Amino acid sequence: MSDLMARMGELCASRTRGDSLVALGLGSCIGLVLLDRRKGVAGLAHIVLPAAEGHAELNPLKFADTAVPELVARVLALGARKPMLEAVIVGGASMFAGAGSTLEVGARNAAAVKAALALQRIRVHAEDTGGAKGRTVRVDPATGVVTVRKAGGKNEQLYPPMSQTSTRVLQEVA
Amino acid sequence: MSASYNELQLDALRELANIGAGTASTALSEMLGRTIDLAVPDARVLPMAEAVDQVGPPEQEITGIMLGVEGEMPAAVLMLLTPDNAEKICVMLGLAPESELAPSALAEIGNVVGTSYLNALAGMTGLALDPTPPATVTDFLGAIVETVLTVRAASSDHTLLLDSSLVIEGEDCSIVFLLVPDHGGAGELLERVGLA
Repeated sequence: MSDLMARMGELCASRTRGDSLVALGLGSCIGLVLLDRRKGVAGLAHIVLPAAEGHAELNPLKFADTAVPELVARVLALGARKPMLEAVIVGGASMFAGAGSTLEVGARNAAAVKAALALQRIRVHAEDTGGAKGRTVRVDPATGVVTVRKAGGKNEQLYPPMSQTSTRVLQEVA
Repeated sequence: MSASYNELQLDALRELANIGAGTASTALSEMLGRTIDLAVPDARVLPMAEAVDQVGPPEQEITGIMLGVEGEMPAAVLMLLTPDNAEKICVMLGLAPESELAPSALAEIGNVVGTSYLNALAGMTGLALDPTPPATVTDFLGAIVETVLTVRAASSDHTLLLDSSLVIEGEDCSIVFLLVPDHGGAGELLERVGLA
């Protein structure tokens, strides 16, 4: 029963009931969630930049091209099945809109994460990216529920879609 | 390459930050007509993952004013203050807090304070430092700080933070002032003061 934090350039994964995977205050960075909902396994990577571009000595978990395969390996090691993996992408905001191209890294991050997922043949089932707002993402491995909170806002469920969960609840009631 | 500096070099960076922040506090004092106290500045080299937490709680809502720095020492200057304190400063300037002029007034404060800091650094080191126009945003502290650090993350897993606090006397109001040089930027600074 604990909050596992993914800080800049870190990842966490769990199959323990009651755990939460959390990335606090994502700006231009991406929180990449991988889920095998049937197995109750989830992983979360806090990705900073699109690619290492020749800096092989740096932390590979910081870069989309190297962090994605590593996160896949971590959730598979916990019992997730690759064909069942679902991806959810959060973050990639442009915090200082108009303050110069160096800070427009958010959109490039989102594109690089999607490209790296495509190489792994993993489909993106939901995303909340872009815009100018920071985001906190939380993942419950047991249920596969992903929630996002923006500054000044409340936790909102991003995945599975609310309509889907509510119908399922209705079916269970029936 | 990881950024590593010895104590002597960090002391020199602290001293530079102190003089820069001193000049910045004089500028702020003149704009607001108040006395400004300066907290002892710090220079810290931190692993990227820890840097945000060292600045403050990642989910705290904060107003950030950022200036880019171009020229011989690419860097970012980031000023952070709570939304309450941002309102207090607007009131000191004679604006209603919810005035539509508030964001541009804050950006102007950031511009004057940040530029004075940079001019002091430029004067001491002889480096050409060109500030870019300020951008103001209110959001999660983590999101603001991480976005500024990201640019530095391409070439190092560590970051150098030079921080100071400007405290407006009698108002319980303070501004945290951060200088984050791009990788290699601090090397330039140290070279100019003969400690590279």
